[in-house]
Amino acid sequence: MLEDSRLPSCSHLPIAAGIGLRAPHHAQFAAERPHVAWIEVHTENFLGGGAALDLLESLRGDYAISLHGVGLSLGSADGLDSAHLDRIAALVRRIAPAAVSDHVSWSVTSGAYFNDLLPIPYDEEALSVMAANVQQFQEALGRAVMVENPSTYLRYRHSDRAEPQFLAELCARTGCGLLLDVNNVFVSAMNHEFDAIGYLEAVAELPVGELHLSGHHLRSIGNRSIRIDDHGSPVSEDVWSLYDRALGLLGPLPTLIEWDSRIPDLDILLAESAKAGAKLALAPPRRATAKAFA
Amino acid sequence: MPLAEMERLFQDGLLGSSREILSHVNGNAREDAGAMFGVYRNAYWARLVESLAVDLPGLKALAGDAAFDHLARAYVARHPSTTRSIRWAGRLLPQFLAREAPYRDDPWLTDMARFDWALAHAFDAADAPVIGVAQLAAIPPELWGGVTLVLHPTLDCFAVSTPVDVVRPLLLADPRAAFDRDRRRDGGLMVWRIGDDLKFRAIDPLEQDALAAARAGASFGEICETIAARVEAEAAAMRAAGFLRGWLEWGIVQDIGHDAPGSA
Repeated sequence: MLEDSRLPSCSHLPIAAGIGLRAPHHAQFAAERPHVAWIEVHTENFLGGGAALDLLESLRGDYAISLHGVGLSLGSADGLDSAHLDRIAALVRRIAPAAVSDHVSWSVTSGAYFNDLLPIPYDEEALSVMAANVQQFQEALGRAVMVENPSTYLRYRHSDRAEPQFLAELCARTGCGLLLDVNNVFVSAMNHEFDAIGYLEAVAELPVGELHLSGHHLRSIGNRSIRIDDHGSPVSEDVWSLYDRALGLLGPLPTLIEWDSRIPDLDILLAESAKAGAKLALAPPRRATAKAFA
Repeated sequence: MPLAEMERLFQDGLLGSSREILSHVNGNAREDAGAMFGVYRNAYWARLVESLAVDLPGLKALAGDAAFDHLARAYVARHPSTTRSIRWAGRLLPQFLAREAPYRDDPWLTDMARFDWALAHAFDAADAPVIGVAQLAAIPPELWGGVTLVLHPTLDCFAVSTPVDVVRPLLLADPRAAFDRDRRRDGGLMVWRIGDDLKFRAIDPLEQDALAAARAGASFGEICETIAARVEAEAAAMRAAGFLRGWLEWGIVQDIGHDAPGSA
């Protein structure tokens, strides 16, 4: 696989825009093979074989593929499910994806599965748990992975460091990369009232191998509102603006449009991707002061 | 507080009515912790109900939106998700509907859920090659009694008491479509996939029993005995052979096992 010195070792994706490929678009995508640089799928949807896996294998030759996990529960104090990890490793061997990722979150405890990306505290114990789980993940795959920053709606009182610091320490301890979700930064920043641009500046030197863009919505509670990360609408103008700032700070990076609820026609998804691609084409190269990944 | 204990408290707050987690988290300047924790709690329930609606569209159309939401939440309360993929969250729903009042009083609900689930399973199950009638014809007739079948991994077969296969497409096209709710039909449904095409077929009780026996590993001779208990002896072999030919022609047989010619 070709190395791009502008990217950390966790990412072999093309520096271009891709789309999240979801089941409602499988048949159309397979038939039309639209012009898009790469695709990302949810790992857990392809572990059972069947028609979905056949489709993914048929696309391998035409598109770089990113396997994006939503179920490993890297933040679980219980540790990883080794059988699930084995299934992911088998899929990675079969597909040879350009990138593998999961989230800074947890979703399983004591045998209950929440099918969600729940927040973890930002303290030393959670960092140790995350680091051990990420290392186990990487050793099982024999490659570096990326972890995605979460969107959150509450914070633990005993967290003793900011999210960017937690991510920096996790990357340093494990050698993993960061999948930076720009929408998540915006949603969390608005909900917790921190400076989104300051967040981007704080992670600018980390090994970021991919960016995510998606939609969110405003939910009213009484006469107030909070931002809900639902991947169910076009990328907001606020998030496009933050993406511009991210490209200015980080340089051009593989960028994905995610759309997971109220999924629109494929053409609309591709148009959003093309919009990101146009911004990527105009993005300045990574700043000379920033870390290179030669 | 240890991470494991924090996650347990979070779980208690999501699944039940415990509010202990709220003393360990902050909301923001505008909303208290309870309101913000509610985002996670609401999302947990809504996500599972939505997933069930996607996997069981026939059931949703049959029950109607409000009743489906109610029964889905009752099911999730009884059976919290125990699978990593939300895709499997509804696997116990047919049994739940068959067992629990008031749903157990309406066989359409259980049959539709079972049918929806079989269709979803057939789509997700691994592919496998199939054999045809020619492979059976190559086996000497004197060995047929010991023939066993490896059935296709996408195949599901189950008993129904309603013609749910006839009604489901009507309801998917128009959830308000009228149909005879008192109509009943004994027998079973078989569901499988060939390539990208989902297939289903209604079968009579005799064929359903024969297919169930084949799935359990019965030999062709044993299947004949099963049938002979229900029809005249001389007709049993013909019926069994007819079933077997049909299964081969429809593409639900992956392989045939049999003794080698001349073996004891």
